[in-house]
Amino acid sequence: MLISVDPGDPRPIYVQIVDEVRRAMVVGTLAPDAPLPSVRQLAVDLRVNPNTVSQAYRELEREGLAYVRRGQGTFVAATSVNGTERRALAAAVAARALRDAYRNGLSARELIDAIEAAESTGTAATLRDGAEETEQ
Amino acid sequence: MSALPSRLQAGDLTVATQDLTKRFGDQTALSDVSLQVPTGAVYLLVGPNGAGKSTALKTLLDLVRADSGRAEVFGLDTRSDGARVRANVGYVPERPDWGYGWMRVGRLLEHHARYFPAWDTAYATKLARIFDLKLNRKMGVLSKGQARRVHLTMALAHRPPLLLLDEPTDGLDPLMRDETLGVLADHLSETPTTVLISTHHVEEVERLADHIGVLREGTLRAQMTIDALRAGLRRYRIEVPEGWQGVASLNGTVLRRATGGREVQWIVWGDERDVARRITDANGIVREAAPVSLIDATLALLGTGQTATAATNS
Repeated sequence: MLISVDPGDPRPIYVQIVDEVRRAMVVGTLAPDAPLPSVRQLAVDLRVNPNTVSQAYRELEREGLAYVRRGQGTFVAATSVNGTERRALAAAVAARALRDAYRNGLSARELIDAIEAAESTGTAATLRDGAEETEQ
Repeated sequence: MSALPSRLQAGDLTVATQDLTKRFGDQTALSDVSLQVPTGAVYLLVGPNGAGKSTALKTLLDLVRADSGRAEVFGLDTRSDGARVRANVGYVPERPDWGYGWMRVGRLLEHHARYFPAWDTAYATKLARIFDLKLNRKMGVLSKGQARRVHLTMALAHRPPLLLLDEPTDGLDPLMRDETLGVLADHLSETPTTVLISTHHVEEVERLADHIGVLREGTLRAQMTIDALRAGLRRYRIEVPEGWQGVASLNGTVLRRATGGREVQWIVWGDERDVARRITDANGIVREAAPVSLIDATLALLGTGQTATAATNS
């Protein structure tokens, strides 16, 4: 699994780590019961404060996306990839798109119409086909 | 609406100063500075060159004495217990070229090790390898970045409970800077450490930090957790009517203003709902209230006092 964070992103770094793990679980690159990197390893890889990684892992645990096995580390929860997680991810993407639309003076309706138009003309086809392949 | 916080609600502090004031001739380097660095924090002290950052760090080691105010490190008064404080601090000075120019790097490390009972030789060797130290070179011929790496090695290798790093990434090339951040992340994972980093390059070290203090012209403008800063500051894009008069009740909390046509952009400190309501009540349409990156937040805080007094946008 590859986790990356961007300090320029307005989300706090621990939230970015949580979102990255969630994304990897939904996409399927993180299977149930797979181990997450140790706090130390991920802190060094991302060049972030180890406390930030611990905070992200606690949050994952709190949301039921991960569990801790004493002395062994943090693992992906077995029951994690279900409709709820996909809907949560979709909601987050939608919120970001909607904020962007509103900033540009567009309504939700205009955005949805534009998304459907883009979908039907195949603008996003390459991306979508790529995503479908990794899901299987 | 609330003022920018300059005091932490913290319990255990490793560094605590009270109203530190220091003048050099007619220059005021520090003016009533009350730093609070909680134990275990990675605290960024940011500000432009000449803001007083280095003086503040030196005061903590009793290398500079304040004219008034107090400085405590580990609960010890730095004036009366300076030696004990220094023995437990890893310090990287801003100008790494002081003294020992004639000494070879390897010899300097051996020499330095003798001052610190807790010196970890294996760790020092590992750091020297990671930092690619040229042990046979004389200190005096090293580049700024090479000397910085020697000082980082000396600061880290005795695993002190407090690191004072004055511009630690200054002079490092991008690759070595990245490597240094990795070393620090690893060090923090292994060793419980409080870190106070002074820098004017926030973006270079922000990933490691959890607290921030903003120093300008010797005055601590704000001091808080980075989470609090992220939560309390928003950039608002506002569509405004012709000849808009601004929002009088937000006076003092608007840190930055920019105007383009009938749109204004403000960076405002305060609760998002409250701010948005006040803007709406004044006939502005809030198009966006977005979180601000740490570098932009810092710039906004450094600007405090310049723009925040203007009552209207112009």
